[in-house]
Amino acid sequence: MLDDYILSIILFAPFVGASILFFVSNKHRDLVHAIAVTFSGIPLIVSGYLLYIFDIEKGGFQFQQQTVWSESLGISFFLGVDGIGTPMVLASALLMFCGIFVSWNVQDRLKEFYINLLVLGSATMGVYMSLDLFFLFFFYELSVIPMYLFLTMWGRHTKGYTDMKGILNMEGKEKRDSVNFFLNFNKNSKEYAAMKLTLYLSLGAVVSLLGILLVYVETGLNTFNIIEIAEKGKLPGNIREIAFFLIFIGFAPIAAIFPFHSWSPVGYAAAPPAASMMHAGVLKKLGQFTIIRICFYLFPVETAEWMPVIAIIAVINIFYGAFVAFLQKDTKFVIGYSSVAHMGYIFLGMASLNMISLSGAVFFLYADAMAMGLLFALSGFIYYQSHTMDIGSLGGLVHKMPFVTCCFVVGAAASFGIPGGMNFVGELMVFIGAWEVYPVQTILAAIAVVVTWAYYFRMTRTMFFGDLNPKMAHLRDATRWFERVPLILLVFFTLFFGIFPGHFISVIEKGVSPILSRINAASTGSAIAQQVDRGIANGGDS
Amino acid sequence: MAPPVLTLADLQLSLIAPELWMTLLTCIVLILDFACPKLSKPKLAYLSMAGMGLITLQLVGYAIEGKAGISFGGMFVLDPLALFFKIFILLSTILMTLASIDALEKIPHFRGEYYFLLLFSALGMMFMVSANDFLSLFITLEFSTFGFYILVAYLRDDLKSNEAAIKFFILGALAAAMIAYGVSLVYGETGTVLFQEIVAMRPEATVGLMIGLLFIFIGVSYKLGAVPFHTWVPDVYQGAPTTVTAYLSVVPKAATFGIFLRVVLGTFLDLKADWQWMIVAIAVLSMTYGNITAIAQKNMKRLLAYSGIAQIGTVLIGLAAGTKMGSDAILFYLLTYLFANIGAFIVVIIFQNLTDKDDIEDLAGLNRRSPLMAFAMLLFLLSLAGVPPLAGFIGKVYVLAAAVNQGLIFLVAVALINMVISFYYYLIVVKKIYAVEPTETTPIQISSHLKIALYVSIAGVLLLGIWPKPFIEASVAATSVFTDLVLR
Repeated sequence: MLDDYILSIILFAPFVGASILFFVSNKHRDLVHAIAVTFSGIPLIVSGYLLYIFDIEKGGFQFQQQTVWSESLGISFFLGVDGIGTPMVLASALLMFCGIFVSWNVQDRLKEFYINLLVLGSATMGVYMSLDLFFLFFFYELSVIPMYLFLTMWGRHTKGYTDMKGILNMEGKEKRDSVNFFLNFNKNSKEYAAMKLTLYLSLGAVVSLLGILLVYVETGLNTFNIIEIAEKGKLPGNIREIAFFLIFIGFAPIAAIFPFHSWSPVGYAAAPPAASMMHAGVLKKLGQFTIIRICFYLFPVETAEWMPVIAIIAVINIFYGAFVAFLQKDTKFVIGYSSVAHMGYIFLGMASLNMISLSGAVFFLYADAMAMGLLFALSGFIYYQSHTMDIGSLGGLVHKMPFVTCCFVVGAAASFGIPGGMNFVGELMVFIGAWEVYPVQTILAAIAVVVTWAYYFRMTRTMFFGDLNPKMAHLRDATRWFERVPLILLVFFTLFFGIFPGHFISVIEKGVSPILSRINAASTGSAIAQQVDRGIANGGDS
Repeated sequence: MAPPVLTLADLQLSLIAPELWMTLLTCIVLILDFACPKLSKPKLAYLSMAGMGLITLQLVGYAIEGKAGISFGGMFVLDPLALFFKIFILLSTILMTLASIDALEKIPHFRGEYYFLLLFSALGMMFMVSANDFLSLFITLEFSTFGFYILVAYLRDDLKSNEAAIKFFILGALAAAMIAYGVSLVYGETGTVLFQEIVAMRPEATVGLMIGLLFIFIGVSYKLGAVPFHTWVPDVYQGAPTTVTAYLSVVPKAATFGIFLRVVLGTFLDLKADWQWMIVAIAVLSMTYGNITAIAQKNMKRLLAYSGIAQIGTVLIGLAAGTKMGSDAILFYLLTYLFANIGAFIVVIIFQNLTDKDDIEDLAGLNRRSPLMAFAMLLFLLSLAGVPPLAGFIGKVYVLAAAVNQGLIFLVAVALINMVISFYYYLIVVKKIYAVEPTETTPIQISSHLKIALYVSIAGVLLLGIWPKPFIEASVAATSVFTDLVLR
């Protein structure tokens, strides 16, 4: 009985928590903490249970629940998760829960901080479980705004980042880009970061909204229901092409795909740690997720047609992200750009369109969420004490904070793909799958891994090992329980699923297989394959 | 042939009963104000709110009963569309009366007439949404504007208020002349001013008729505050008392849409191919001009004025679609606009009552001084920007869906880009309110009247965003008058 409403519980618990927090004064810090922990803990526990009871035999969209929201517009509040959504719901809940602890020490407007975080987490999970295009967009758009508030209210001014041209130009020379040229912001200010992030993502959102509206209107079914559109929707070829493009280009910027990536490292660097964790961890993955959910699922023909292009962009992403990360002097920028590079691996896995690579890409989504969450949490912890993120001015931190160092090494190692971490499994699956389709791109991507090793090693060595910088003598380790809880949780999840990925991968494969069989059916055009596809979508076994 | 004898029964007075009650209420408020100078002015406000509440109930009764009919020789029509707008007008007038009480206590003179003038304008607009021919359209448009001319000039010692009134009046007169000229051309082409007769004639798109329609559209765009007759908007919004601005920014525009829908969709739907481009042009220009100019504003009231121009442009998209879905979307959008825009102005009113300032710079750090006001402003601005889960988001998607349905992809693309531009200036205000430290830190006390008005607006913005179903259904029911027309 409870299982029928399991998704609603996960989705609405943080909203309820946020509403309750409105009526609590900031003076009662303990109460604020307690409420935030409770209402972010509920979704974590329930979504862990969700992964546990997800029926691998059955596959398809499970735990569906549908409430009509407006008949005349054909909108219904339709939730359901498949093998792709389930792990990401868990990742969102976990990062939200950890974010509450990471921001335990926020002094300024703690209540508002938690409200923002709960709304952000809830909106993210909403996207991962929506089966109605309208609500998918609804939650997507809802997730953009809290980030703006995070950045402007609790953000920090950055020191600026070094881009590719930075090697050639003199250092410190003022460079302007479109956003600060038109809008007259100081490029290193948090306001600039906030506005850039919000405008990039909103522009993407409205482009995809146009695509969604086209699909809604042109199918003539008067419904936003994804499953119904996939089964019955007949679209003329050119409309399909346009809609595919609009939706892809609309959702790709949040995944930091190559020409639209520049908001992300700046945004993460300026954001408070909990917001960076959420954004780099799970919000960024909304891009790939929505592309898989909408583009792959609804437009199999166009997907098959355009994926070779995506494979090339993915390689650019990998190289660009890796090399620029190498140049950075600010920890958060290094992590931010490494996340841009990771998005490239995921896109490469998606572009290969076979079972192992697409599952690997989805697995990578989850793995990267854990690694990014851990690294941003740690860099936030260090920044809170040292008030600098400059790699050069840190050093020898292991003498003062052994526990943090240990966690950071695990996070960095997981991030550059050491066996035993989750990223390794994802990366390996992507490479194996992609090798069959795009051998050249795969070789290039594998070469870029070396760069990733290099900058993570360099950063870890400079920050934590060697002699202690005397200015950093006042630092202390994460000793209090609320400092340790998020780190232990994230390390545990990174290692646990890295060592035992079996159950996880079989869940993901169940989500991936109906999409792939749709794409295969569309490209071969055989009726038999379509029947197989229906069988899988309706719960048959592949 | 003897002229037909008009009896009282032919007039079907029950159709205009709400207007008659309203007239009575208006007179009572005026007379009480004169006859009992000792009477405290808020009591007049309570009286008019109670009266309007009762009339609203009567109108709701009519709506449930399904009362409809045509009277006064075809000049006056009562149908679901008119009922929707009448209820809209009365509810927003009640809300604004409530929000005006405190601000008026600061004005040294003429406190009573304010309520009278507000009621008088509302009465004019109630007639306006029931106008069923071009003559009553013209008369009621002027009728409803009269009250506003005086209201805008209410701060008679204030230069800006006077300037605003003069601009408002001169441009209003010009727009009225244009409408009158357009009506005369339409009459010349069709030989009648009654909407029904024009529909029955199925007129061809002759040059004279199209020029007439063009003049009417331009004149009406003055009332809507849309490009090309938008120039009065910022100055009047800034100069007029903020309570009047708040009212002016929503209610007359909504009422004008009520009559505009009747003209464009109800009467000239057959000529859609010929007038669609005009509406598209007005919409594109209004949105783009409003949003781009809003970026540069330093004054909160001017910012809301320019954002209002852009919002009206967005509403016009629904009209350009020219379908029943488009008109549903307009009605729903106007509801969302009512709460968001009046709400934003209420925040400005509260702030102005205390500090006499209304620049964006002055709002800095509002969050530290009054978390409620800051949060309310955040909701209202984000609703205007179209962010879920707030009302404006649903309204925008609704309007855009209607336009995509008619293949107006270019218009929708312009609207979406404008949505992003509007994000910028709304978010700049949000940043000022939340992220900048205030120069003055005294907490702001909100009086109970304004608090109620603020809570009502917040509730409206949230309710329409999270559970819009009943409101969408109300809009769909109200536009049922167009069903048979659209099918034709």
